[in-house]
Amino acid sequence: MYNKKVRGVLIQGNKTYSQITNEILAPQERKAPTWWFIAMFVSTLAMAMGLWAIYITISQGIGTWGVNNSIGWGWGIINFVWWIGIGHAGTAFSIFLLILRQKWRTSINRAAEAMTVVAVICAGMFPLLHMGRLWMAFFIFPYPNSRGPLWVNFNSPLFWDVVAISTYFMASATFWYIGMIPDLATVRDRATSKIKKAIYGLMSFGWVGSAKSWLRFETAAMIIGGLAAPLVIAVHSIVSMDFATSVMAGWHTTVFPPYFVIGAIFSGFAMVLTLMIIIRKVFKFQDFVTDGHLDAIGRILTFISLIMGTAYTTEIFIAWYSGMEGEIYTFFHNRITGDHTKAFWTMVTCNAIIPQFFWFKKVRKNLTLVFIISIIINIGMWFERYVIVVTSLSKDYLPANWAEYTPSIVEIGTYIGTLGIFGIGVLLFIRYIPMMAMSELKMILKGTSIITNQKQEDHE
Amino acid sequence: MNNTAIYGVFESEETLLSAIRSIREKDIKITDVVTPYPVEEVFEALNLKTRIPALAFMYGLFGLLATFGFLYWTSVVNYPLVFGGKPQNTLSFVIVIFVMVINITIASTVVTFFITEKKGPGAVPKYEYDGMSDDKYFIIIEKDEQLDTESVNALLKAGGAIEITEK
Repeated sequence: MYNKKVRGVLIQGNKTYSQITNEILAPQERKAPTWWFIAMFVSTLAMAMGLWAIYITISQGIGTWGVNNSIGWGWGIINFVWWIGIGHAGTAFSIFLLILRQKWRTSINRAAEAMTVVAVICAGMFPLLHMGRLWMAFFIFPYPNSRGPLWVNFNSPLFWDVVAISTYFMASATFWYIGMIPDLATVRDRATSKIKKAIYGLMSFGWVGSAKSWLRFETAAMIIGGLAAPLVIAVHSIVSMDFATSVMAGWHTTVFPPYFVIGAIFSGFAMVLTLMIIIRKVFKFQDFVTDGHLDAIGRILTFISLIMGTAYTTEIFIAWYSGMEGEIYTFFHNRITGDHTKAFWTMVTCNAIIPQFFWFKKVRKNLTLVFIISIIINIGMWFERYVIVVTSLSKDYLPANWAEYTPSIVEIGTYIGTLGIFGIGVLLFIRYIPMMAMSELKMILKGTSIITNQKQEDHE
Repeated sequence: MNNTAIYGVFESEETLLSAIRSIREKDIKITDVVTPYPVEEVFEALNLKTRIPALAFMYGLFGLLATFGFLYWTSVVNYPLVFGGKPQNTLSFVIVIFVMVINITIASTVVTFFITEKKGPGAVPKYEYDGMSDDKYFIIIEKDEQLDTESVNALLKAGGAIEITEK
């Protein structure tokens, strides 16, 4: 019963091991195509705009942002939460599926983890910039100082954020890199130019793949994965507590931690889908990222979308059921109706309604539609953070404080800048690093694929 | 490592495994088996064990004690700050402890992995052979005075090695 092949064939095309190596490394061994340089140029432009915005923020201060006394958290925090959410993809994908021993992760995990690392870098910039005085950023760490020493507040979610996000970055970056070492060694062994051999030799840490190394490698990966899985849940729970531990209407709810974690995994999976469809199309990796893989992600998204819908409904129900005037006002007169209707209904449509089309097999098989829906989900998730941050802050308990918020060009620039950084990161990844974990693909090849022409059969 | 070694090259897991078993039956010491991807059966055939899980548990325990110790010392001993009459040694330490245990365990496990493996930037690969890390499997046996080269070669050949080289 347990040997049932639920997922079908994971690697198509009757491949041999060296075919896997050749096909995955082929895009790197060719010259970079023109579109790569164009994309790099566009991303660099975007990053330049971000650098300009960061320069203005640091040299002139937070006054250049659109935030005000009532709405103190604008695009800065919205984008921070959004990027962290996307950054959950790698862990959700690669680590949960590793622990569950799901073999279909192998062709996607590398890209998902790369995305995580870049997205967490983008996310981490926002709280740092939001401090205004960046050169005092070290204040957030508990270090012995001359003020007592007065320590940081260990009971504040903002401090937990610092600990959790830096741990998450460290964990996902090391997990990604360790997983990559055997493949970098393959690149090293195949390299023909001296410079390439030297660089990849340095990066591959002298790996040869002896049995003892593999045993330690697998054990270490399992331990890191096992520890990072609860970490990923902790990280976004803590991010949600930045909101939930305050007494703002619309924030002060116990549903926030699971709601945020699920939302993060939702946007992460959607981003994985967007990226994998592009990579598959551009590099012709249909044999590795099969329709079955994309179908599986589509199914997961349908389910998570249902949870999102339930979370939205729960929030609204509890607001009414609590009988608390502030909550009722926020949900019924400031979100469902009122000034922020557009953002609220965009959020509901994009996250809870449109992904339900994945119920239909026809939609899941139509990659153009899947691609569009995956982007719609990420737009929806951005609006979710907008709704949470802006609606609650804009009208709090004291009508004299009510204010509206429009982002300034500096905030928009910072956001575009992080999109540029993300683009550059992904482009460098697809150019210089094996896009799929070759050693893992080889490991699962026999159990999950139909092989007819290989020599293995003759010896049996 | 200055000795020369015999490299037996194999083309499939099955032949590799049967060769490993027949060589081990003759009490010949296999220096290394190199595969392009982890093969569980090879670990079993070579009877390999690792202490990394036990070590990781110790690191976790250390992380737990160290983090709690630090939080307790800063908040209760070193600078006991009263805010809103709340307890200084609070339950909310749990969150920082939880994350720091993960942090310390992961970081130390990674360091342990690299130290035990003697790997790092600049480390030189121990063996190099055509097809290694691509699709070939290797049994590597280091030569010394007692080793009967002939019988090793014969065993490798009988096991289905496609190439036998001394390097």
